[in-house]
Amino acid sequence: MAFLLKNESISYNEQVILHSLSLDIQKGESVALLGKSGSGKSTLLKKLYESKKEESAYIPQELGLVENLSVYNNVYIAKLDEFSTIHNLINLIKPAQNDLATIKEIINTLELEQKLFEKVHTLSGGQKQRVAVGRAIYTHKSILLADEPISALDEYLSSKVISILKESFQTIICAIHNVELATQNFDRVIGLKNTQVIIDKKCSELSEDDIQKLYYVCE
Amino acid sequence: MIYRSYTMFVSKNFRVSFAFIAIGLISFYFADLEITTIDATSLSQDFFLSIFSLKFHDYSLLLEAFLTTITIAVLAIFFSIIFGAILSLFFGSLLVRISLAFTRAIHELFWALIFLQIFGLNTLTALLAIVIPYSATLAKVYAEILQEHDSFGDMLRGRDRVSYFLYTKIPDALPQLISYTRYRFECALRSTAILGFVGITTLGYYLSSSFMQGLYHEVWLILILFYILIATIKLWFNKYTFIPLVVASFLYLDDFSGFNLANLKRFFTEDIIPYPIKNDLGLESTLSWFDTIFTNEILIGATNTLVLTQLSLLLTALLTLMLFPLVSAKFANKPTRISAHIFLVILRSTPEYILAYIFLQLFGPSMLPAVLALMLHNGSIISHLIGADTDAMKLGINTTKRKGERYFYEVLPRVYGQFLAFLFYRWEIIMRESAILGVLGITTLGFYIDSAIEDFRLDKMFLLLLVTAFLNIFVDVISKKTREYLKADKEISPCRV
Repeated sequence: MAFLLKNESISYNEQVILHSLSLDIQKGESVALLGKSGSGKSTLLKKLYESKKEESAYIPQELGLVENLSVYNNVYIAKLDEFSTIHNLINLIKPAQNDLATIKEIINTLELEQKLFEKVHTLSGGQKQRVAVGRAIYTHKSILLADEPISALDEYLSSKVISILKESFQTIICAIHNVELATQNFDRVIGLKNTQVIIDKKCSELSEDDIQKLYYVCE
Repeated sequence: MIYRSYTMFVSKNFRVSFAFIAIGLISFYFADLEITTIDATSLSQDFFLSIFSLKFHDYSLLLEAFLTTITIAVLAIFFSIIFGAILSLFFGSLLVRISLAFTRAIHELFWALIFLQIFGLNTLTALLAIVIPYSATLAKVYAEILQEHDSFGDMLRGRDRVSYFLYTKIPDALPQLISYTRYRFECALRSTAILGFVGITTLGYYLSSSFMQGLYHEVWLILILFYILIATIKLWFNKYTFIPLVVASFLYLDDFSGFNLANLKRFFTEDIIPYPIKNDLGLESTLSWFDTIFTNEILIGATNTLVLTQLSLLLTALLTLMLFPLVSAKFANKPTRISAHIFLVILRSTPEYILAYIFLQLFGPSMLPAVLALMLHNGSIISHLIGADTDAMKLGINTTKRKGERYFYEVLPRVYGQFLAFLFYRWEIIMRESAILGVLGITTLGFYIDSAIEDFRLDKMFLLLLVTAFLNIFVDVISKKTREYLKADKEISPCRV
């Protein structure tokens, strides 16, 4: 079991964002979180990350990149705690060969090989998202919690990035706004609306009605 | 609702402005602004005309003066960066903040006067005089810059705090840290130059000696070369040249001896202890010692320091309101802007102390030279900043073509908040300068401090320095409160002032 929530309410700034939530996510599942903005997707992801920090990699919506640092170092940040401070300090001046090789490979698959030593502030929105994805992969954790990590990518790159993520992580929970992409690439969909889970089913069972309910129908 | 918030905005800015104008006018009433030289006009004429016959009696001496000034400034900023960076990490501690505020509140020239007593006239004294207050300033500003840069999410942060600090905050803040440090280096050059006025052989030394001999063409040559030096800082002080400059400065200055532990110890354990306490003369004579100094020096010195500060602040404000349109594309054409710009750069690059010194020679001793110097130097700095901000401002297409209307209805209301914020940032600096200008003979606190040193009454000097520092911290606190009241800090980044 990756996550188990039973009748839990999640608040943010003293405001209840998600009401009496029950969730059961198994290891090996890939789950797409759907819902309008403000429906509580980000809050849920944060909550899940906090409950299993040691096993999970987390990509926040704002990516958490350090603008004035190279792509390489932004990915390297994922493992700061695993090396000594001295090693980290030296790496800042001259990249450590072992780490460089690993990170280079990750960055190449994300089609950013030209940008490895460019500073992040010179990159486009989509390139930045791929750097954040690269950082998550480099953690070598088993669970990925990602908040709209591919919103700025084109169709080709979106599919490619999702398949790379599926190879790299055992369990994935990913907020996404493209319904088609979600149903094509994930096993299961969880739909949030008005502080509640209103859809929780396999992608193959998702109907047009569900989508209407999630995004368009007012209650 | 809209109406209410509008009147609130107006009344806050208005109330604060009104209070400061009133205080400024009262100060004007009490200020002694007499011209005392017999023929100020012809003296000024002589001075300004000699700009056309630049020369110097010994060019190798001039080169030496410049090299000494540059190398001391380079080493001073080098050590200040190191100490400032370390101290900025402990800025959260109240004790550190208070000690740094105190250290900053004492002008570098006062520090120089203190170390002259302890270590004598040498490079060590010059370096300490700048490194001590500059480390404190850099620590404060570095801490503030680092605080502003916190874009890396706390969620992602791990355990190794040092590594995360190096990988997240430092790179994010680096451009601002560097640009502020460069600005501080420019200040260090000015500070080193004026150390010459207390005997260190930097530019100020030769400037004052040429002035005293009436060799105005030499004064101008030094000033013009100094302007060029400041204007070209980016070319010769950057990431490529920094380390070579530091090494070369070490080699050039060569002799850093002069440290004397016995003197240092004597200074703190004997010299600055009030005379009646040191000699066990009892409480009564201690109180009478304090009372004499308080009535004869502290009261007059502090009042005059405040009068000079408030009058200069008001005049700085007025000058800024008149000057900024000259560098703004919203009001002036290109030729006007360029010439105004050069004029402002020159005023900005001349240390207040040197401006005051020049005016003092021309107009004689009164508050006038100090007021003029403070007004011109600070007014030019704020005008430059406000002018640049008005250029970035977008007015509607249907805006008035009439410049008067545009000034009062479009531009001024938009920049007034910033303008006040800048003024209040400079307030503390004006106060520090007001105190130090006493060394030139204006009876502010600096005058009494200087006299106490001349009489070798270091206990009195120390008491007066304490008063000066407290007065400065007091002004700093009021300035901060006023800016909070006006919510002015949001308008500007403190690193620019």
